[in-house]
Amino acid sequence: MNKEVLFKEIFQANSKKIYHLCYGYTGDDESANDLMQETFMKVWQNLDKFRNQALISTWIYRIAVNTCLSYLRVEKRQAKDELTDTIIETKSEEVSEKNEQIDQLYKCISHLEENERIIITMVLDEVPYPEIAEISGISDGNLRVKIHRIKQKLTELYNQHERF
Amino acid sequence: MKDFEALKNIWHDQVALPKVSHEDVLKKVRKTKQGLAAKLLREMLGMVAATIGLIYVWINNPFKLWTTHLAMIIFIACCLYYIFVLIRDYRKISDNTLLLNKPEEYINYLKKYKHDRYIFNTRKYRIYSLFFSLGFVLYFIEVSFLASLWVTILGITFTVAWLLFSYFILMRNYIRKEEAKLEDMIENLERLHKQFENTDQEE
Repeated sequence: MNKEVLFKEIFQANSKKIYHLCYGYTGDDESANDLMQETFMKVWQNLDKFRNQALISTWIYRIAVNTCLSYLRVEKRQAKDELTDTIIETKSEEVSEKNEQIDQLYKCISHLEENERIIITMVLDEVPYPEIAEISGISDGNLRVKIHRIKQKLTELYNQHERF
Repeated sequence: MKDFEALKNIWHDQVALPKVSHEDVLKKVRKTKQGLAAKLLREMLGMVAATIGLIYVWINNPFKLWTTHLAMIIFIACCLYYIFVLIRDYRKISDNTLLLNKPEEYINYLKKYKHDRYIFNTRKYRIYSLFFSLGFVLYFIEVSFLASLWVTILGITFTVAWLLFSYFILMRNYIRKEEAKLEDMIENLERLHKQFENTDQEE
């Protein structure tokens, strides 16, 4: 198959989930688009290695996670969180209730630890647990415990914010 | 009060879509490749021109003392070393296979890469400037025989002052800033590394 056609197919099948992962990680739309673009640039450059791979999405997720991790190393966490709050608050004034809930959910995710953000966005996008374990390099047993804790933490955060 | 299933429903209702298409990605790939290559080429051409200039001066000037020949060899070696580092760095940047590693391994790679860059930017740069200074000192030995005393003193004073200023003011400031940046990055990476570590305590 032609490389560009194959890339287009891969992009269409995975871009939405990768965008969610990047959005969950950075907490803002612009950075999420940048990281997603960077991820797929790496995918394109490694495309020949992926041919005939059964679970191509696992590798794309792996690249996305590592791209996110290297991105945050130059970010100031405090500054980013404050910025995220401002962006989301300003935007929320004009969006519908549904969008407000989604913004709120992303805002809560941005308050989690980095690896928690990565794992929970994959859980929310219904990526199978063995695949999440493979992507994050965390053993299956540890991952299940982690997921249980993150779910609780996120639910608490969301409900706390909803009360205000 | 909402449970996790309710949050999942909110998540699946989202209509947020990426603003980047596959064509945008391919356009950026081509642009970045050209950009990187052009920048590298500019730097390489600069250094190659400097090396050719030095060789030209060396060939066309009948230097009498062996110290001047040694100085020229040192200058040219410094330029060649810089070109070698440029090529090596370019090859390192182009290697994307590391991104396929597990996050824990990738974070370790980032730590090592950052540390190596720091070593290069500080210690190796120090040695580099030391060799350049040595080259100038050797060069001025011949100048002192050819030029008048005042010209030689002026030349030596200016060169020594510049080298001292670069070493004690510019380099020290630069190293301090680089060190602070590295510490910040390592701290961040250590934190991330801990998050991805596989510990049995959690089970």
